Amino acid sequence: MSVFRSRPALRWLVPAAAAVVVIGGGAAAGTIVASADPSLPERSAAQLLVDVQNAKVDGFSGTVVQTADLGLPALPGVTSGAGGAELMKLVAGSNTARVWYAGEDKARVALMGTLGETDVIRNGSDVWLWRSTDSSATHVKLPADKNGADRTPSALPSGLPSTPQEAADAALAAIDPTTAVTTTGAAKVAGRDAYELVLSPRDTASLVGQVRLAIDAEQHVPLGVDVYAKGANDPAVRVAFQQISFTVPDAEQFTFNPPPGTKVTEPSAGDIAKEREKAITPEARKAQQQATEGTKVVGQGWTSVLVAKLPAGDDAKTGPAGEAAGQLDAIVGSLPKTSGAWGSGHLLTSALFSALITDDGRVLVGAVAPEKLYEAAGK
Amino acid sequence: MSAVEVAGVPAAPVRRVSTRFLRSELRLIAVRRRNQVGLAALAAVPVVLAVAMKVAAPDTSDRPGGGPDFFAQITGNGFFVALAALGVELGLFLPIAIAMLAGDAVAGEANQGTLRYLLTVPVGRTRLLAVKYAGIVAGAFLAPLVVAVSGLVIGLILFGGGDVTLLSGSQVGFGEALLRLLGVCLYLGVCLSALGAVGLFLSTLTEQPMGATIALTMLTVASFVLQQIPQLDWLHPYLLTRHWQDFGELLRDPVSFGALTPGLLSAGAYVLVFATAAWARFAGRDVTS
Repeated sequence: MSVFRSRPALRWLVPAAAAVVVIGGGAAAGTIVASADPSLPERSAAQLLVDVQNAKVDGFSGTVVQTADLGLPALPGVTSGAGGAELMKLVAGSNTARVWYAGEDKARVALMGTLGETDVIRNGSDVWLWRSTDSSATHVKLPADKNGADRTPSALPSGLPSTPQEAADAALAAIDPTTAVTTTGAAKVAGRDAYELVLSPRDTASLVGQVRLAIDAEQHVPLGVDVYAKGANDPAVRVAFQQISFTVPDAEQFTFNPPPGTKVTEPSAGDIAKEREKAITPEARKAQQQATEGTKVVGQGWTSVLVAKLPAGDDAKTGPAGEAAGQLDAIVGSLPKTSGAWGSGHLLTSALFSALITDDGRVLVGAVAPEKLYEAAGK
Repeated sequence: MSAVEVAGVPAAPVRRVSTRFLRSELRLIAVRRRNQVGLAALAAVPVVLAVAMKVAAPDTSDRPGGGPDFFAQITGNGFFVALAALGVELGLFLPIAIAMLAGDAVAGEANQGTLRYLLTVPVGRTRLLAVKYAGIVAGAFLAPLVVAVSGLVIGLILFGGGDVTLLSGSQVGFGEALLRLLGVCLYLGVCLSALGAVGLFLSTLTEQPMGATIALTMLTVASFVLQQIPQLDWLHPYLLTRHWQDFGELLRDPVSFGALTPGLLSAGAYVLVFATAAWARFAGRDVTS
């Protein structure tokens, strides 16, 4: 203390040191979680796939965090404004959900909002959707026979691989021409040791650099997926458990009784079919038919490009559908214009995919650089 | 013999820490007329809010989900008046209350010329600062409690009580709901205490209490604004107000206390850094007024 008394300026070292410790400590805690290297016995990709298929968990609960940083350009009406905030969170930001699982017919997912929550709860044949923001609930009863069908594995058609080992080998063989599959034994997700299955496209034209799947070393369930853009150090999309516990959650997590004052809608299976029928007007059906006719896939594997035709027809530009179309036009119009031998159009680029909307009404989407899209557009 | 000599004797018997100074500081804060009026203003907001909802109730029931958080549920259960009021006041009223206390703490004394008298009483500057901060913390915990109690009382009178629907859609009894509300108040108290530490530091920088108060209020508002800008997401984890809205975690079923940890850690970090900065500034500076 006497040092501080004789040289008061030295006192400032204390808050400075505190700031360094606090900020540095926070950053270090993040890197420790990311770079811990558990020494796990080596396992091949095929073994891991078998593990995943054989995994039997009675139940678990945990917190899942999804983060995305797709590097999208600013889009009016989508990436700005209050209305776009929710949508924006999916492509650039993070979402947190809590999940509970106790066997096939008991599951609950709660998507956390700032001061709200959206829950999907399945308990037996009851499925509830609860939205706290407008306190509304939707109740769907699953048909009983479908439940039964789900549980009979004998429904598998013959000719399919019958053991997990065969299935894993077949799957690996099928993707081998396009994808290199490797494993690492060094990942830590939600504080648990995990193997990582790394899928990297062999085709260098793809924008996807790597897909990393983390698999729990003990329980063999997938704990997280990271998608890396080519040459990126941080994942463009990441969905992973932040915390997980393998104790079976209480049954009360899955009971939902709509609180008084809730608007409950209970569409029966018949109603749903009827509504769907009603929604598909003859014109819409025609447009859909046109769309499916014009849709094709160019290329294969990781560099395949989806080519679709926008539903044409100026008569559709009235009413709410027309309004939506007008909004879409505004968004497309704000994208940079490009042109080439293939024609002209607007281009949307991001870290993981590119999209090209040509002036003659075609949409080309793929996880490739724009040049590949131009190539496909010229065909 | 003077107090300085007593402090200088190394083998002095263990001295019991007297709470007299703290008690006097708390009494000083409590009898200050502007603090009383401020507290009354805090308590008035839920009353205005509840009466407005009562008068306009038929309109709002047509468009559920309208208005800020918890507003839609007010007409069904008076409990939500307290939560809605806390949510509304957290944006500006509560930070202003803390800013006022913090401005008075050191800068106010300096401005009135009473700081040097305080320093002549036999207490160290560090202890003086600690007592001043304790006063701010007491205010930080009291303010949300006052809002909650006022909201509860007016809510129960106008809309009645009953089982409370949580964010997860399940219901809990009124007693448990009260416990959760208390938890919300305590959590907000911690958040506001962190704000108070920043305010204490600002208060040691100036002799104008109004300067410290305005600076802290601006800091809070700026923090809220920056939080809304997605392009600055790298900055968001460091913002003071970042985790304030997390009090909603206490209204889920089951409560995940882990979700409150980031907010508490961040508050602790702010207290540590700014309380020591206030100490470095205050204990080393010349008090001229």
